Amino acid sequence: MAKRIGLFVCWCGSNIGGVIDVPKVVEITKNFPGVAYATDYKYMCSEPGQDTIIKAIKEHNLDRVVVASCTPRLHEPTFRKTIAKAGLNPYMFEMANIREQCTWVHSDDKEGATQKAIALIKRALAKVSRVEPLFESYIPVTKKALVIGGGIAGMQVAIDIADAGHQVILVEREPTIGGKMAMLDKTFPTLDCSA
Amino acid sequence: MVAAAQHPNIQLMTYSEVTEVNGYIGNFEVTIRQKPRYVDHKLCTGCGTCTEKCPTKVPSEYDLGIGNRKCIYINFPQAVPNKPVIDAENCRYFKTGKCGVCKKICPTGAVDFEQKEEFITEKVGAIVMATGFDLFNWEDAYGEYGYGRFKNVITGLHFERMSNASGLTGGKIIRPSDGKEPKSVVFIKCVGSRDEAKGKEYCSRACCMYTAKHAHQVIDKIEGSSAYVFYMDVRTPGKAYDEFYRRTVEEGAQYIRGRVSKIYESGDKLIVMGTDTLLGRPVTVEADLVVLATAMVPSEGSDKIAQLVSCPTDKDGFFAEAHPKLRPVETMTGGLFLAGACQGPRDIPDTVSQASGAAVKVVALLNNDQLATDPMISQIDEKMCSGCLVCKGVCPYKAISEKTITERIGGKPVERVVASVNTGLCQGCGNCTVACRAGAANLKGFTNQQVLAEVDTLCR
Ligand SMILES: Cc1cc2nc3c(=O)[nH]c(=O)nc-3n(C[C@H](O)[C@H](O)[C@H](O)COP(=O)(O)OP(=O)(O)OC[C@H]3O[C@@H](n4cnc5c(N)ncnc54)[C@H](O)[C@@H]3O)c2cc1C
Ligand code: SF4
Ligand code: SF4
Ligand code: SF4
Repeated sequence: MAKRIGLFVCWCGSNIGGVIDVPKVVEITKNFPGVAYATDYKYMCSEPGQDTIIKAIKEHNLDRVVVASCTPRLHEPTFRKTIAKAGLNPYMFEMANIREQCTWVHSDDKEGATQKAIALIKRALAKVSRVEPLFESYIPVTKKALVIGGGIAGMQVAIDIADAGHQVILVEREPTIGGKMAMLDKTFPTLDCSA
Repeated sequence: MVAAAQHPNIQLMTYSEVTEVNGYIGNFEVTIRQKPRYVDHKLCTGCGTCTEKCPTKVPSEYDLGIGNRKCIYINFPQAVPNKPVIDAENCRYFKTGKCGVCKKICPTGAVDFEQKEEFITEKVGAIVMATGFDLFNWEDAYGEYGYGRFKNVITGLHFERMSNASGLTGGKIIRPSDGKEPKSVVFIKCVGSRDEAKGKEYCSRACCMYTAKHAHQVIDKIEGSSAYVFYMDVRTPGKAYDEFYRRTVEEGAQYIRGRVSKIYESGDKLIVMGTDTLLGRPVTVEADLVVLATAMVPSEGSDKIAQLVSCPTDKDGFFAEAHPKLRPVETMTGGLFLAGACQGPRDIPDTVSQASGAAVKVVALLNNDQLATDPMISQIDEKMCSGCLVCKGVCPYKAISEKTITERIGGKPVERVVASVNTGLCQGCGNCTVACRAGAANLKGFTNQQVLAEVDTLCR
C-alpha cells in the first residue's frame, strides 16, 4: 500500500514563522514523495493545532505523520498522543526540529534557514517512510523499595515510602543508622538536637 | 532514628552491605551481606554489661579517634539498634583465643563467636541511593596547616563530637593535646572547597553555616573566649540563615576575610598567619585550637556501589541526577533515585526535602501494578548475529547477555551463541547498533535502514 504521509509545519508564533518563509516551505515539501497532505498552523501543539492533525488524518486517510516544529524533547509525546487519538499507532510519527536546529540559530540568514528547514523536513519524510508500528510491552512491578544508606536522607526516604504503604529495606553499613547527623551536636539554623 | 527502626513497613538491616544488584526498573534482585556482629540481637537486651567489662580499648572511629571505645561496643548512647557488635579485628578472643569475658558475663547468652556472615536475596521494584558524604582528606593536601601533625588542628566534625553532650567529653570543648579548655579558637573555612589547586572546585554549602554555629558555641560555652573565622565569602542563603550568621557576629565572633597561609606551633599555642584582604594587611592570631571546615566529598566506597547499581556519577564522583533542574532526584537508570549528600554537598533541610521528593517518585512507581516499556529499544537479528558480543561490552546498562540457540545446518542441530537484549534494561541508547559489525543489532523506530535513508535523501 502506498504511504500516505501528513506533513504539518508549525510557525511557533514568530519563533519559526518570523525567520523562514513557512508558506513557501509547505508549497515545496507537499510535492515530496509520499506526502498526501501538507499544511501549516500558528501553534501546532495548541488544541486547535492538534485538532487540525486529527481532522486531516481522518479526511485524507493518512497513515503516518511528520510535524516540523520544535525539539522532540518537548512535544514528541504530545503529538504521539494526538495521532493515537486519530487511531494511528503513536510511533508512526517523526519530528523535524526546525526551531532549535534551524530558526533559532540562523535568524540572520532567512533564505538559508528556509532551505535548511526544507532539508530537515526531507530527512524526516525519509525516516517516517520506513517506520513501522511499535507496541509497548508491560513488565510487572515488585512493590518494595531498597534504600542504601541510613543517614538522615535514607531514613527520611524510608519513612515516607513506608508511610505511603509500601515495604522498605533500609541497608546501613555501620552498626547504627543516623549517618553524620547523629554525630553532630545541635544543628543550624534552629540549634535543636540532632539524634 | 527510632521512627525508622520501629516502622512496621521498614526492614532495617544495619551492619550490612549490598553486594550484588541485577534486574531493572520494577524488578531488581539484590543481594545483601549481613556482616557478623558476634552478638545475637534477638537475645541481646542491650544491657551493656559486656561493654563495661571488655578489657580491650581501641580508638573510637565514631569519635574520630579523639577517645576510645571497647571491642564490644555501641557507637553512642542513642544508637539504633541499641545493641553492641564485636570488632573482631581487635578482639582478644579472635586474636589469641583467650578472654571471652563478654560471653561469660552476658546474662542472656547473646555473645556468639561462631556467628557467620549471611547473604540475603530480596526482590525490589525501586532503589534509592542515600550513601551521603565523607570529609575531604585535608592532611594529604594542606602543608600550611601542618599535614595533620599538630594535635590541636582538627576538623569541624571533631568539634561536633566534642560539643555533643552525649560524646566523650560530655559536651566540653577541649584541646586534644592536653584536655584544657581553649580560650582562643580559629576557624578556617573552605578547606578543600573552592580550591582547584589543592582540593575541589565546588562549594560545600553547609560549612559557612556550621562554622557560624561552632563560633557561636565557643563564645556561648567558654567564658572569656574569642572566636576568629578566616573566610573567603560568607554564603548563608536559606531561611533564617543570614540572621543566624549575623547573630554570631554580634555575639563577638571576629570574621577575617582572607586565607591562612601558615600555621605553626609555638609552645603550647598555634600561631595562625594570614592576610586580611579587606584591610590589606597581614594578621597573626595566637590560637589554642584551630578548626577546619573541610570539603564534603562522596562517601568512601561510593564509586563501588555506583558501579554495582549502574548509577552514573559526575566529575567529582557524586551521583548524577537525570536533569539538574527538572529531574533532580531521578537518575538515567530507570527505577534508581537519589537522596541527600550523595548527589552533592548539602545541609539537613535540603537533604530532607530532597529525600521526600525521592520518596514520592518511588511511591508513584510502586503504585503501578505494571509498567509500559518504551518500544524504541534494540533488537538482535539472530540470523545475522555472529556471536562476537562486542555489543555486550558497549552497553552502558548491562542489557545484553548471551544466549545459546539451536540451528539446523545440513539437517543437523548445531548450537550457537548469539546476543540477546533484555527489554526491561535496554534504554534505547543505540550504542550496540553502532558497534555491531554484522548489522544484527538494530534500534526499533530508529533502524539502520531509516538512518541510511535519511543520509541518502540529504545527499541527493
Ligand atoms: C561538621 C559538620 C557539621 C554540620 N552541621 C550541620 C548543621 O548544623 N545543620 C545542617 O543542616 N547540616 C549540617 N551538616 C550537614 C549534614 O551533616 C548533612 O547535610 C547530612 O548529614 C547529609 O545526610 P545524608 O543522609 O545525605 O548523608 P550521611 O549523613 O553521610 O549518611 C549516609 C549514610 O549512608 C551510609 N552508607 C554510605 N555508604 C554506604 C553503603 N555503600 N552501604 C550502606 N550504607 C552506606 C553511611 O554509613 C551513613 O550512615 C554538617 C556537616 C558537617 C560535616
Ligand atoms: S572477647 Fe573480645 S569483645 Fe569480648 S570482652 Fe574480650 S576482648 Fe572484649
Ligand atoms: S559553604 Fe562557605 S565555607 Fe563551605 S565551601 Fe562554601 S563558601 Fe566555603
Ligand atoms: S540500545 Fe543501548 S541500552 Fe539498548 S542494548 Fe543497545 S547499548 Fe544497551
